[in-house]
Amino acid sequence: MFGRVRGAMADAAETLRRAFAGLTVVTVVPEPFHVGSRRGDLLAVNPKPGLDLLAVMGRGARLFHEGVPCQVLPPFEAKLQAEAGWAHWGTEAEVVRMTPLEAGRAARITVPPLPRQARTLGRVEPPTCPGTRRIADPLVPSGTRRLDPRLPEVSALAGLEAILGLPIPIRAEDIQRLPKGLWMRYSLQLVRGTGENVRNLEVLGLFCIPRKGVSDLRHDPRQSRILIRLEASAVRAPREPFILARRKDDGALLSCFVEGS
Amino acid sequence: MAESIKLAYFMAVKEGASYLGGLLVTDTSGIPLDFRYTEPITPTHLQSILYGKSLEPHLKEEVIQKTLLKELKTPPDLFILSATELAGGWSGDAKCPVLAVQKSQETPLVKVGTTFRAGPRDILLQLAEGAAPLRVMFAASVDAAAQEQAMAKLLEAGYHMDLTEPLERVTVALQSLVVKGS
Repeated sequence: MFGRVRGAMADAAETLRRAFAGLTVVTVVPEPFHVGSRRGDLLAVNPKPGLDLLAVMGRGARLFHEGVPCQVLPPFEAKLQAEAGWAHWGTEAEVVRMTPLEAGRAARITVPPLPRQARTLGRVEPPTCPGTRRIADPLVPSGTRRLDPRLPEVSALAGLEAILGLPIPIRAEDIQRLPKGLWMRYSLQLVRGTGENVRNLEVLGLFCIPRKGVSDLRHDPRQSRILIRLEASAVRAPREPFILARRKDDGALLSCFVEGS
Repeated sequence: MAESIKLAYFMAVKEGASYLGGLLVTDTSGIPLDFRYTEPITPTHLQSILYGKSLEPHLKEEVIQKTLLKELKTPPDLFILSATELAGGWSGDAKCPVLAVQKSQETPLVKVGTTFRAGPRDILLQLAEGAAPLRVMFAASVDAAAQEQAMAKLLEAGYHMDLTEPLERVTVALQSLVVKGS
């Protein structure tokens, strides 16, 4: 409600402002007041050009002495003056006709469409094809060199002594596979060779080793084998059955070669 | 006890940039009869490039093995090498059957001396009572008849010795020779 009143008042104020904004203002020149007067020579200065020293000369005495008679000012009389400007006001006024506001007159705003595809920036232009240049100087033919890729021939060296120094495992023979008579003979030879009672001996194994050249012998009970180191003389020595036994009372190891079958 | 059978164990190793090989001949007890080894061969950088992947097989088979076999006065009965070398495609020209022996994890066969053919060139051999059988792999050049003869020799030797152990001995001997040489 107040908004409408305020709007109506604003419209009225605007209407009045526009109505009076274009008025032509006629300037009425008033008639001047005329005062009757007379001018008399009262004071005068006679300038003297040149280099004369400035001098002020008092002429007062002269005025009084050489005064001229003047008339007495006439008395003021009131006079009615008329203002004619107001008579022209009604005829000179312009009527300003306001253009009424029209409904539905509005500017149409067109929304620009979104781009369908993003534009790619920073595109690298393909390199231009390099120009070909021709070298007039021919290549100097190089000399051919031959390099033999064959591997050098090697010689074989004898190293029997080196490998004889390594421990050689000798597996125990399976006594159960021996003929019973042969094993009886081996047992007898063991008793004779060691001088021990056969009941005090525990046979650890029967091995076939060289008769000569055994420099070291160790028993490996876990795998029922012995580890021997040999000398060069062992290579050509005959292999003989060898019995390794342990004395039951003190655990000492006994051994002897037995005759073969 | 068969003393006439000779087993040749061949091993070639690479120590640093050098190759060397050894050949151990043993009797059926595993006692060495002969041992030969080559000087270390160090191929040049250019030879390594030119030979490429064929450098190592060529060195082992053509250079080292032939040199060592040439030195043997009598040919061995069996030529045994590592399973890795044989699986790599052995193409040597040994005059005897070429094979590899390897301990297996298979269940024991019924009795000692039993064989089980797992493949055309792969045979299991029972050498000891209750133990896992030995796996024997033959080279492609060994036919079935030669395989049977070789199996009989292996059985006879395996009764007295551990057939896989001498290869370890050759490796240790070669390494000790390299250390001694350097």
